[in-house]
Amino acid sequence: MPNPNDFAILFDASRCIGCKACQVACKQWNDLEPEKTSNRGSYANPTKLTAHTWISMRFYEGLRPDGEPYFDFIRVACMHCTHAPCVASCPTGAMAYREGGVVTVDERTCIGCRFCVQACPYEAVHFDEARGVVYKCTLCHDRVSHGDKPACVKACPTDALTFGPYREMQAVAEERVRVLKERGYSRANIYGLGELGGTHVLYVLTEHPSQYDLPKAVREAEKRAATGWLSAGIAAAVLGAGLKFIVDRREAIKGGGQ
Amino acid sequence: MITLDFPNPIGEEHWGLWIALYFFLAGTTGGAYLISVLFYGHDQALIRRSALWAFGGVVVGSFLLIIDLGQPLRFLNLLLGGFYPASAMWLGTWFLLISGAGLLWVYLRTPSRRLQQMVALLVALVVGYTAVLLMQTAKPFWNASPLLPWLFLASAVTAGGALLQLWRYDERLSRLIVAAALVEGAVLALHLLWAYPAAAKAVLALLAGPLAWAFWGFVVVGWGLPLVLERRSVATAALLTLLGAFLLRYFVVMAAQV
Repeated sequence: MPNPNDFAILFDASRCIGCKACQVACKQWNDLEPEKTSNRGSYANPTKLTAHTWISMRFYEGLRPDGEPYFDFIRVACMHCTHAPCVASCPTGAMAYREGGVVTVDERTCIGCRFCVQACPYEAVHFDEARGVVYKCTLCHDRVSHGDKPACVKACPTDALTFGPYREMQAVAEERVRVLKERGYSRANIYGLGELGGTHVLYVLTEHPSQYDLPKAVREAEKRAATGWLSAGIAAAVLGAGLKFIVDRREAIKGGGQ
Repeated sequence: MITLDFPNPIGEEHWGLWIALYFFLAGTTGGAYLISVLFYGHDQALIRRSALWAFGGVVVGSFLLIIDLGQPLRFLNLLLGGFYPASAMWLGTWFLLISGAGLLWVYLRTPSRRLQQMVALLVALVVGYTAVLLMQTAKPFWNASPLLPWLFLASAVTAGGALLQLWRYDERLSRLIVAAALVEGAVLALHLLWAYPAAAKAVLALLAGPLAWAFWGFVVVGWGLPLVLERRSVATAALLTLLGAFLLRYFVVMAAQV
């Protein structure tokens, strides 16, 4: 569980109009380079986060099984996990938890090994080839530590993005899900309460998380590594003893019988 | 990051040729040392020679890891940055450093067998941590099954044995390699089956996609053919096994990033 007084962003998919004001505000405030984009038949552009795009909108459109058309969208960025795989995997301490539960990378310490890029289940950390280090959303640490809102929240024209203490954001999200369910969105849910120790970015969704390509079964990097070490230990013991037996003992047993 | 521009049908990968080559070098030379200590403990000349090879593998492998970094000159941050045992990469850095020192010691001073076995434990950690490193990421092809350490350790035995076979031949070594190769093949098949539901894209890329050349190249040339040739032409079988071990590391590293 995040600390109740931590910083938190609440994204409400039922209020979002997909205008990308957050995406543009993030670029402007953080002075991020433009991206070469192309038309891929979706409003999502660029389709994935990069070292220079820390927020992007993803769009999903089509027909539901009952023939009803849908047009869903979601704001994708770093989730600022409480047990972040990028922090656990970082071998130099460059990626670390900062005040208020924010996860940021220190670009002067980062060695560019890209382990965090591989470890993030949200594909939110990216490598900048030119600078040789990784970049990601900072939750506008420079703004929030001076009492302002993150740039994306400030720019949102429909209050789909709100910013405040984790405790308040969670309460608002729970209330919103209750209202949505009353209005007939029976699958309304909150994403981020249980994932990776609770994320500092909470989503109110009207559909199941898989509809927005949000991973449901995410495991903490510490647990993944523990499974690995356990498996490696068993493998070393079994293979060492097994091969030794096949090659030597069997020979000895056969030799003893002669 | 210093890269070779190989034709890469997959697009972008974060860990590529250098990492695969390092896994291959560490696995092969480390496997040779492990076999020497475990099966030829009385043959001090062999242990010294394989310790020298493994030392070379550790040094060259570390060099490859460093040039793969985005900021190669900051590599000392790995050692001086702090204490991060949750990160397999941080642990691996120390395993490499300590096992390198241990292997040099075994080569120069020929310590007691007990100490040689302790160095073998460090070498086993170097071989095994590479698989744990992959399992700690969020890539389903690497972490869907706990079998990667089994695959890498079994492959280290076949490849390490093949390396020894280039210089010496005996019946035991041959039997050991055949047994380890059978385990390796079974583990690989089981891993692909196990990972398929979570990482269908990666498995299909191996079976019939952009990595099929490496996968089938391994199965036919680097695994099947040596098994057939083991009794007829040991040198050819050993060389093909070494080629196969590299292909195995290469396609395992690349498949998860398809």
